[in-house]
Amino acid sequence: MKIDQPFAIICLLLLISIVPGIACGYATPESIVAAGKVYISGIDYDPGSFFTGDTGTVTVYVTNGNSNQSVVVNHATIGDTYIRLKSNPYDSSANIGPLQTRTFVFSVAADALEGTYYPTFSLSFRDADSLYYRLVTKVDNTPLELTVVDKPDAYTQDKKKTVYMQVANPRNNMVKNVILDLSGDGADFSPSRVFVGNLGPGEKIPVNFSVTPNKVTPLKLTLNYDNGDNPHRVSMELPVIFGTDKKAANPVISNVQVKNEAGIWHVTGDVNNAGLETANTVMVTSLPPAIPQDPYKVYVVGALKTDDFGSFEVTLTAENTDTIPIKLSYKDADGNVYDSIQDVKISPAAITARNSTSGLPVIPITIGIALLVLFVGGWILYLKRNKK
Amino acid sequence: MNLSITDILFRPDAFFGTMMNEKESLKIPALIVLAGSIVAAAYGYLIGGLTAKMMASTVPGIETIITISTIGGALAGTFIFWILWAGIIYALSFAFKGLGSFSRMLQVVGYGYLPQILGSVITLIAATQYIPKITVPTLSSAAMQDPAMIEQTMKAFMHDPAMLELTQITSLITIVFLLWSANIWIFGAKHARQLSPRDSALCVGIPVVLYVLYLIYNIGVM
Repeated sequence: MKIDQPFAIICLLLLISIVPGIACGYATPESIVAAGKVYISGIDYDPGSFFTGDTGTVTVYVTNGNSNQSVVVNHATIGDTYIRLKSNPYDSSANIGPLQTRTFVFSVAADALEGTYYPTFSLSFRDADSLYYRLVTKVDNTPLELTVVDKPDAYTQDKKKTVYMQVANPRNNMVKNVILDLSGDGADFSPSRVFVGNLGPGEKIPVNFSVTPNKVTPLKLTLNYDNGDNPHRVSMELPVIFGTDKKAANPVISNVQVKNEAGIWHVTGDVNNAGLETANTVMVTSLPPAIPQDPYKVYVVGALKTDDFGSFEVTLTAENTDTIPIKLSYKDADGNVYDSIQDVKISPAAITARNSTSGLPVIPITIGIALLVLFVGGWILYLKRNKK
Repeated sequence: MNLSITDILFRPDAFFGTMMNEKESLKIPALIVLAGSIVAAAYGYLIGGLTAKMMASTVPGIETIITISTIGGALAGTFIFWILWAGIIYALSFAFKGLGSFSRMLQVVGYGYLPQILGSVITLIAATQYIPKITVPTLSSAAMQDPAMIEQTMKAFMHDPAMLELTQITSLITIVFLLWSANIWIFGAKHARQLSPRDSALCVGIPVVLYVLYLIYNIGVM
């Protein structure tokens, strides 16, 4: 078949001219107006602000403000020198229907130092020019704050003490999975790991833990958290020094009196708390060679606040000894038991009779003597009279 | 014999003067002493109960033993004291060449016990008032092994304020009625041993005064 050459050329030109028309469309005044009604309706950052080196996502919400006309977009990207795009840009055509919103999610890496940056989001329309939008991205290297609220002045070997901590978030975005890890050579923690969870901007949360050190050692506290999906940590060391706790409760026995009734020694006295903390469950009892006896084998004084005092009485028997050890025990707020022993002297002189030695009974003696004198005198008188 | 209790108490000289003409008989004196011993036993039962309470935890059943021995001691003790007083007066009267049998002496001393029955009754009444107020210490088994401890416990018991007061009152009542008895015994001894009033007063007075002084001393050292 023979084809007419000029006709073929015309057909080819027509074909060539149709193909771009299908692919790119035509920028018409209507399509340009429609593109003008497309706007950025929202931006989400995850994390809300980046540490230098963090990666995260930026979600851009593009809304078609036209009520009866769709727009076609065929390219979307984001980034600049500091906020680097890690994912591919959007290169395929997509239709955004009337009053519809389409999201564009980009993975980015913050390579910048601390500061505020403005990467640009660009969106190309098929039938119009492109849309450009400046985003505001913050790079903030402020870490979480781990602070000691209260801790013992000194530790005692194998005695449990409580440390009161606080975790605060000075950043302007929420951090996730906040976990406090505790470690230390020769120290037992309870708990050894504290899960805090999410911590919003400006929030703070108390974290307490108990530690039982069996030697002098530094306690290592590591606060782990995620900024977006980026793990971060804050570390701290607390020294453990054995010594006397200046604030500890200090129950002191005073006003001790000892007496013996019917073979039972009664030791009475007062317990004063000369410390700055409350002494809980203060108990007094006697130790061997004394044998505690009823009714007060053990005397529970109870809790003694600072400068408070309580009386006690313990009953016991003791043989072949002139001193008896009196044990005073109490518990601190962590349940640790502390003992102190005080020797109390007993002697036969302490065997007292109640209300004895109150002096000579003058009246009965006087009456007795008077009766006797009366009797003798009466008889002398009688005999004299009888003699006469 | 035309004699009455009133005569023994208030006219002993006349009573014993008449009695000397009668045959010796210890029946009535023994009954008087028995009556006294029964009242004393009742008092002993009350005080023994306290002692038993004190030692209750040391040996099982010791309360019964203590109570029985206290009652028995009071019963027998009164009779022993009867014989003792008669013996002492009788012995002393030898110094004044006294004549008369010991049984006659026993008889007059037995009659002389009459005021002491009255005294014992008053003591018993006082005891019923005071004993509930006495705090009795308890001796432990361990303390029973230590004589010093027992002594101290007894001391503590005796020095209980109520016990102390009861003992003082008892002692004064005893003195009053013992002196009354002594008064009777002087006249009794005069007739029984044919002594002069002076000699008889010395025979009775010396041991009685000494015993009263001992009682007063006891009040003082308590």
